[in-house]
Parts: sequence; structure tokens; C-alpha cells
Amino acid sequence: MENFEIDSKRIDQIEKITLEEKNFRIKNLELFKTAGFPNKKFEDWKFTDFRGIVDNNFKKLDTEKVTYDFKNKELLKNFDHNYIILVNGSLHSNNFDYEEKNKIKISSHDNNINYKLSENPLICLNHALAENGYFLEVEENYKFKKTLVIYNFFTNNIKDKILNNKNKIKIKKNSELHVIEYTINESKFKFINNVYEDLTLEKNSKLKSLYIQSKKSEGFFHKYSKSKLYDNSDYVNLIFSSGLRFNKLDIESDLIGENCSCNILSALFLNKNEHQEIKTRINHLVPDCKSYQRIKKVLDTESKGVFQGKVYVKDVAQKTDAYQLSKALLLHDDAEFNSKPELEIYADDVKCSHGSTSGTIDEDSLYYLMTRGLSRKESTKLLIKGFLNDVVNFIKNPKIKEFVENKLEEQINAH
Amino acid sequence: MLEIKNLKASINSKQILKGLNLSIKPGEVHAIMGPNGSGKSTLANVLSGKNGYEVSGELNFKGESLNEIPVEVRAQKGLFLAFQYPLEIPGVNTNNFLKTSLNSVRKARGEKELDTLAFLKIVKEKSSELGIDEKILARQLNVGFSGGEKKKNEILQMKILDPYFSILDETDSGLDIDALKTVAKGVNSSRTKQKSFLVITHYQRLLDYIKPDFVHVLSDGKIVKTGCGDLAQELEKTGYKKLN
Repeated sequence: MENFEIDSKRIDQIEKITLEEKNFRIKNLELFKTAGFPNKKFEDWKFTDFRGIVDNNFKKLDTEKVTYDFKNKELLKNFDHNYIILVNGSLHSNNFDYEEKNKIKISSHDNNINYKLSENPLICLNHALAENGYFLEVEENYKFKKTLVIYNFFTNNIKDKILNNKNKIKIKKNSELHVIEYTINESKFKFINNVYEDLTLEKNSKLKSLYIQSKKSEGFFHKYSKSKLYDNSDYVNLIFSSGLRFNKLDIESDLIGENCSCNILSALFLNKNEHQEIKTRINHLVPDCKSYQRIKKVLDTESKGVFQGKVYVKDVAQKTDAYQLSKALLLHDDAEFNSKPELEIYADDVKCSHGSTSGTIDEDSLYYLMTRGLSRKESTKLLIKGFLNDVVNFIKNPKIKEFVENKLEEQINAH
Repeated sequence: MLEIKNLKASINSKQILKGLNLSIKPGEVHAIMGPNGSGKSTLANVLSGKNGYEVSGELNFKGESLNEIPVEVRAQKGLFLAFQYPLEIPGVNTNNFLKTSLNSVRKARGEKELDTLAFLKIVKEKSSELGIDEKILARQLNVGFSGGEKKKNEILQMKILDPYFSILDETDSGLDIDALKTVAKGVNSSRTKQKSFLVITHYQRLLDYIKPDFVHVLSDGKIVKTGCGDLAQELEKTGYKKLN
């Protein structure tokens, strides 16, 4: 790693940390330094040589803090919402005017400790260097009245930076929150954003999160998301992050309370040279839980999509109901889709199914639409939208649905 | 309206149409009958401009050669094909599709595109004429439609796009007698002095309800016999074998 050296003094610059936390960070830094950026030798990266990607795109990377000049940016007007503003991953401001403020706690993320050591070098790097980010807590028995939009702004002066952030959301008993994570990238330069997300859904709580970005981006994104689901909780994760140069979402969910439900849905359109990877691991650890995964990707020329999905069912997790489907539509011969679905089941009374398909646009369907006066391009677009629609239809709020449809349409039109 | 001269078509080096001649004038309804494998559906595909065929001969539509004209432009010029097996298109809402289709045809004709309200008015009128439950138009295109619903949906599309020349490829197959009557009624109400139809069928049954001006028998890629409506009844009795 000639292009990336981190002095352990970097950790000394992190303010207000205990000795214990400092040691945790130093240990993780050592782990990262030993392993380096992940390449295909790592099982979780078997389709992606991230080390090579870093070498090809960055002459030098650094982790120095950036100052930013951030004036109030234009916020979405499509629907009423609360918001949190992150600038380059750091908590900048928030607004919860639609809510009862005593039900919500928001602060910069601190106390970077008590995390399990990981074999993923990027998580080690995050444990070593993460600063800022946010910690959001929703008190018991409180349902958000409006959606919360987390604006994730990236400014223009983060060239060759690697930004490490940790974010945490905790929904307490009987509470409910809908989040839209909206990435707005103003940087024309390449950078890496490496995020660790920590989600807790207590008994009877609900979290619906939707991930989308405003336009094409030169950023390289990696996010590891760990969620813990307690009894009767319901987690829905909708991924519409088309337009990113590189994005890997590594989603791990522990189903630790009975009757909880975990849903991961994605509809992506990948344009030229875009790379998106979704890796999931759903751990069914107790009986009577449900997991549902539906991943749809459309891949244009020279794009690459990866789905690595694992469902793990512990011996005690009887009556598990797990479903996993990944489908890819390849618009070009040189598009690449890799899929590795896995079931690891130790219980004997479960319902688990998985499927993975990839194919091209059906010529007969195109012909049918064209006999109705639509050009080949229009017909293709209609078939692409049709392919992705079943995921988009999971959005119930019509204004949010329209917002997502428009973003998706921009991606499709750009091809 | 349509002039076909010495039309030959092959697919994967296999010749299907072997020099077909046919002339259809405005206002006429022609029926094409013939045994399996005689080339009926190939004729429909070639007329609509489907890729994959090697075609020679003359195809003139309203005085213009169709030979180099792509599928969608033929549709925009007023040529319509009702499919024998309409395709299921998952994720595409039927109403949205109908509107997109109508507006692209209107645009090509230099007409103003319709807004949703004006469009729905047309759909409501045409679908009630065909006894189509409007609810199915809110569903995905042909997905989960019954055989009858699919065929009615084809005729609905025909009526909405209002073409000059329509090819009905075995529209009667898979229809019960009530649906057949409704479909025939829908077609008959579109018959004018300017509109022409080519009805492809195996059976005389449909022709009891859509009365053709001419009946042609297609056999081995050529029209071997032409007659008036009576020919269909004759064929029903004697079968195709006698003709060969």
C-alpha cells in the first residue's frame, strides 16, 4: 500500500477519548495495516479486488480532517420531512419541527468501543479512525409523524480523502421511524466514504430506511450495516442507490427476538463503469422470524453488479420463513453480474427459498411493444421500469414513491 | 390499402412464404384460412415488420413501400397486429402502456398528445363496448389475464390506436362463444369505408360474425384459392386436404 500510509499518531489527534478506546483504535489500526485493503482472497470480497480499485484510482489517500464551507443547501421540497444534515459524514445540524422533541435524542457519535473485531479490513479501519457521524435515539412509544431525511452532503474539497464515520440509530419499544438517506455529492473528485452503521430495533418497533442519491458520483462508498432486531420488530431496508461509481453495502442482521421481520429490497440501474455490490447476512437466531430479500439490478455496458446473500438459520430457529431472490437484467454483453446465494440451515422445520436469475431483454416483448408504435428505446425503457417496479411498489407514500421513480428515471434516461 | 406482390420470406434458411400475392382495398375485410404451418402467422409477422426474416417481394401500404420501414413506424402509419399470443409484460401498468402507445402514434401523426383525463375517457368508452372490466386495465399488461381477457385487450388496443389496417391473427382461438361475439361486435363497429382488415383464422366460426368480403386459402406459403364468404363454409365441410 504505497499510496496509503497511516501513522498511529493520527489516533492521538482524536479528541476526548479514553485510554481504553485509544487502545481499541490502535489494535484495529494494526489489524488493518496487517491485512491491507481487501482483495479477492477475502471470501466476502471474492468478486471485487478493492485493493486494485484503490490502486487504480488513487495515487495517494489520506485521512486528514477536512474543513468545509457549508452554507445552507437546498433541501427537498417534494414532501414534508424532518432532517439531519451530515457534511462529509459529520453531523452538521438537525431539524425535528414536526415531532415531539423530548422523544428524540440526537448527538454526534462518540464512544467508539465495544465493537466486535472484524475480519473485514475496512471495518477495522473504521474502528480505528471513525469520528463524528450521528447517534439518533427514539424514545419508547413514539411514532414519527413525518419521514426523517438524512442529507449526506459531500463537499468539493475531499479529493483523495478516506472518510470514516459511524452512525447509530436506536428505536426503543413500540416506536416507529421512517428514514431516507439521501446522498448529495458535490465533489467532482474521487474519495472514499467508509461507514459503520449500528441499528437497534427494540420490541414492537419499526424502522423503514430508504437509501438513494441525487445524481452520479465519483465517490467510492462502503457501508457495513449491523442491525439487531428484538421481538415483533419490523425492519425494511430499501436500496435505490443507482449512479454511484462504486458502492458496497454489507448488511448483517441479527434476528434475536421472536416474530421479528427483516426485509431487504433493492432496485438498481447501473450505468457505464458503475459497480454496486450488496452483501447480506441474515442470522435467524430464534424461532418464528421472517426474512425477505428481493434484489433487482439492471446492468448497462461495462457495469458490474454483485449479490452475495446468506441466510443463516440456527438450530433453535424453528418455523423460520426466509425468502431470497436476486434478478439481473443485462443490457450488454460486457455487463457483469455475480451472484452467490447461500443458505446455511441447522433447524429442521423451516421454510427457506432462494433463487437467482440473470438474463437479457426479451426480444419478443420488445417486438410486441414496438407493434404498438413505441420505438425500440422507449420499449426497452418500459421493460426496464417494469422489471424494477415490483420493488419500487413497496413504497407506500405516493410522494416518496414519485420522488424515487423520478430519480430512477434519470438513471435510466442517462444510459 | 395494401398490395403484396410475390412476397417471399424465410427464417433460419427455411422458406415459409413462397411468392404470395394479395391486394386489399380500403373498406374490405379479407380472411386468410389455411392448415397449420401454411405460413399464416409468418405473413402477419412479416407485414408488421418483425425482425429475423429474410424478406423479398413488394409490400406497399397506402402507396408507400414498407420494405425498409421498422416495426414501430408501420404501427404509427396505421398498421396494427392483434397477436395470436399476446405477451405478458410484468411491471408495466396496462393503462400507462395504452396511453404511451396512443400518444406515440398520435405524435407521429402530428396530432396533439392526450392528457390522462382525455385518454381515460376514450378507454372507458372502448372498454365498455368490449365488456372489459376497467379494473384489469389497472393491472400489469396481460399478466394473469385469462385467454379471453388477453384477446379482448388486443381488440381494445386496436380500437384505441384506430389503425387503417388491422391484422387479426387467430383472435378467435381460446375464446368462448360469448367472448367471440363481443370481439366480433367490437371489430364490426370499427368497419368503415376507410378501414381494412385481414382476419387470420383456422375456423369458419369467426367468419359467421365478422363477414369477410374475400376468403383466401393459404397453403405451403402461397394463396391457392380465393373466393367470397361461401368458401369458408365449403372448407369447413371438406377440409384443406382436398385443395392440395
